[in-house]
Amino acid sequence: MATPLKRARGLGAAHAGTETFWRQRVTAIANIPLVIFLILSILCHIGASYAEVKAYLAQPIVAVLMLALIISSAIHIRIGLKEIIDDYVHSEGCKIVAIIATTFFAGIVGIASTLAILKIAIGS
Amino acid sequence: MVEFTLPKNSKVTKGKSWNPPAKDAEPDRWREYRLYRYDPDTGENPRVDTYWVDMNDCGPMVLDALIWIKNNIDATLTFRRSCREGVCGSCSMNVAGTNTLACTMHADDAKGAIAVYPLPHMPVVKDLVPDMTQFYAQHRAIEPWLKTDSPTPQKEWRQSREDREKLDGLYECILCACCSTACPSYWWNGDRYLGLAVLLQADRWIEDSHDERTGERLDDLEDPFRLYRCHTILNCTKACPKGLEPASAIASLKRKMVERV
Repeated sequence: MATPLKRARGLGAAHAGTETFWRQRVTAIANIPLVIFLILSILCHIGASYAEVKAYLAQPIVAVLMLALIISSAIHIRIGLKEIIDDYVHSEGCKIVAIIATTFFAGIVGIASTLAILKIAIGS
Repeated sequence: MVEFTLPKNSKVTKGKSWNPPAKDAEPDRWREYRLYRYDPDTGENPRVDTYWVDMNDCGPMVLDALIWIKNNIDATLTFRRSCREGVCGSCSMNVAGTNTLACTMHADDAKGAIAVYPLPHMPVVKDLVPDMTQFYAQHRAIEPWLKTDSPTPQKEWRQSREDREKLDGLYECILCACCSTACPSYWWNGDRYLGLAVLLQADRWIEDSHDERTGERLDDLEDPFRLYRCHTILNCTKACPKGLEPASAIASLKRKMVERV
C-alpha cells in the first residue's frame, strides 16, 4: 500500500550511469575505425598462409590496433549486454546471474584474445 | 515489465457491431470505428466493439466521433476529454496505431476503420481511460516547481530574452503522456524509468535561468533507470501531438551529465 510518490521515488537515484553512458559512446566511436581495420585485414589475407597472417599480426602497429579493438569491444560488449539485461530481465535473481555471466564472458573473451595477440606479437 | 503476450485477463476479444449501416447506405457517409471496451465491474475480458459514425452529422475529429457515439449509440462508452482543442491533454489515446490527442486528430488522416485503444501499456480504468497515477507521481517526484535560494526580489525575477527562449519546446508540454507511453523502455521499466514527458519537464526546470537547484536536479536524475533507459529510438518525438521533441530534452540532460563528470 505504498503511496504513488513513494513508488515513483523508489530507492532513490543511484548517482551513477553517466560514466557508463560516456564509455559506451567512446568505445563505439573507437570501434568504427578499428572494425573497418579488422575487416580490411581479413579481406587482404583471404587465401594467405598461416605464417603470412601470423607475420602480419606480429607487426607492432597491427598488434596495437588489434589490442585496442579487443579492449574496446570487450568493454562495449559488457556495457551493451548489461543494458539489454536491465531492459528485459526483471527477476532480481536472474538479473544478477545474467550480469555476472555476461561480465565473465566479456572478460574471458577479452583476456584470451589479448593473450593471443601478445603471444603472436611478442613471441611465445 | 517485459510481456510478449497479454495477461489472460487482458486478452482482447471480439465485441459486437452496434449499428451497421444498411447495405444501400450512401457511400462514404458512415465511418467505421473499432473501440476498445473494458468494464472492470463485469469481470469480462476487454473487447473491441464496432460502431459506424454518420459523417453527415458529426464533426471531423476523432473526438467528435467518440462524442457522437456516446450521444447517439452507446452512452456507456467512457473516455476523458475536456478542452477539445489540444490544450488540456485529457483525450490522449492510441488512434489508428499512434498515440495522439483524439481532439486534434482528423479522422481523414486515418485510412479505413479507425481503431481506438487506450494509451499502451497503462493499467485501464475503463474503456479508453488509463490509470495515470504512476505518471503523475513521477512528475511530482521531479519537483516541477521553481526552487531558489536567493532572496525573493522586490519586483519580478528578471529573465533575459535568450534565457526565456531556452524554455521554448519545453514549457508547451501538456502532460498527455503520448510520448511516455509510446516508448518500449517505459513499457518495460515504467516503475523506475521516469519516461519522456517527465524527463522533458525535468529539463524544463534545469534550463530555467531562475531555478537555482540545477545540480540537485541532475543528481536526482543520474541513475541507470531513471534517465539512462532512454535508448534514443525517438518514438516519443514521433508521437508528441504538440510537435515537441522529448528526445532532444533527454539528449540535453545527458549532455549536462557528461559535462559535469
